[in-house]
Amino acid sequence: MVRGFNQKFEQQQAPAFFVRGPSVFARLVFFAALSLALIATDSRLQYLKSVRQALMSVLHPLQVVANTPTRLYGATNEYFVTHNHLLNENQQLKQQALKQDIALQRLSMLVLENEHLRKLLEANQSLLESSVLGEIMHVGRDPFTKKVVVNRGEAHHVVAGEAVVDAKGVIGQVTRTYSLSSEVTLITDKSLAIPVQIERNGLRAIAFGHGRDNILDLPYLPTNVDIRRGDKLVTSGIDGVYPAGLAVATVSQIENTADSPFSRIICVPTGGVENHKQVLLVSIPQLGLPAVTAVTAVTASKVSAAVASQVKKTSKTAGTLAMPKKSQAGTAIRPHANN
Amino acid sequence: MQTTKLRHIYFSLFLAFICLLLPWSGLALTMRPDFLLLVLIFWLIRAPNLCNVGTAWFAGLLVDLAVGGIFGQYALVYTVTAFFAVMYQRRLVLFSGTQQLAYVILLLLISQISLLILKVFAGMQWIGWTYFLPSVTGVLLWRIAVFFGINAGGRARGD
Repeated sequence: MVRGFNQKFEQQQAPAFFVRGPSVFARLVFFAALSLALIATDSRLQYLKSVRQALMSVLHPLQVVANTPTRLYGATNEYFVTHNHLLNENQQLKQQALKQDIALQRLSMLVLENEHLRKLLEANQSLLESSVLGEIMHVGRDPFTKKVVVNRGEAHHVVAGEAVVDAKGVIGQVTRTYSLSSEVTLITDKSLAIPVQIERNGLRAIAFGHGRDNILDLPYLPTNVDIRRGDKLVTSGIDGVYPAGLAVATVSQIENTADSPFSRIICVPTGGVENHKQVLLVSIPQLGLPAVTAVTAVTASKVSAAVASQVKKTSKTAGTLAMPKKSQAGTAIRPHANN
Repeated sequence: MQTTKLRHIYFSLFLAFICLLLPWSGLALTMRPDFLLLVLIFWLIRAPNLCNVGTAWFAGLLVDLAVGGIFGQYALVYTVTAFFAVMYQRRLVLFSGTQQLAYVILLLLISQISLLILKVFAGMQWIGWTYFLPSVTGVLLWRIAVFFGINAGGRARGD
């Protein structure tokens, strides 16, 4: 059939020999110029945002169609899960729920205590954020960046800048929203920085994604800084974007070289940056009073000292800390380790 | 007759685009060939009067949208690749199967290198040699397609 197709095509090709329109080079110049103009407009000016959003909503149904085979496969797999496996999982979940219930009981007390202490210190930082449960639709297609696309968008009140967490810790930040989906840049992306605090001593720093491997860098810390292997990094919350106290990473390697005044610190993300499917999009903390920046460096250090001890206590529940929908956060997010 | 032909082109491009939209991840993502570009090259060689640099530009724009990067990057890359494909199209039809394969991998590499240059200008980091794997898998896919009788034209048809 293909051969017949070829022959038909050849017959038709002959008269078109000389009819070729503008030269190839002219076309190249025209379209290359057009692309360069687009690149310049998109990277320097913000005009194309709405265009992109409109086009993305056209693309969304196609994306859903493309996702169908994998979804069907997953659904069939799930259907044929053995009875034993389900029983085991149920058992595990029950135990987990029990542990978390106990932790939550302590948490409510701690929240009260925390509020009280904050009032005493005149520091105002709300710990109550609303959140949306989302599912990762697909991994970003650009090999140069670490991104995922989540199936919650503007229609679900997702705003760019929100923190994205899984059951174990922060995995990224919403960087672009479309109507029915949004793009999340993972914390391991080179362009993403996240303000952190060392849980042990309250030292503040900024963690940068490494880009290539699944790790974070902690640059610009002097060689004599008090940091050890195994130290836990949590969000400091002073940026006003991430809620305070979410687990981010664990320090895995510290290198001091003689020729550099800074040490090279490598951290491994706590959250399953590349293996979970369900994520929680936590909205940006709404502050009652002007801004968190009003808490100046001096007060912040005071607060951090007071809070450090609390954070330590609550660190076990760091993943679920500060979510009003406690039960949802506790049960709905579970690692998708089976797939 | 011509309308049927165009429909074939657009339908195959659409299918290739859906292939791109499939939720690839992990190793499959690093090895994923550029389906859309392969189909484009095929039509550029076979029917340059119907599918030309402009088609490539539009396809590139769609890829830009799906990838979510800066608009125009893939459009430029596809335009440049399409230029080289169409430029030597007359000669290419006379090539034998292996020569054609070499040319296709060259085109795929041109697309990847130009994309790399654009990305590096945008401040991205070199991600290792695995970056060029899609060119290799792409040319393998081309070989498989040739094996199943889909030919871009010329001697490679084996008449």
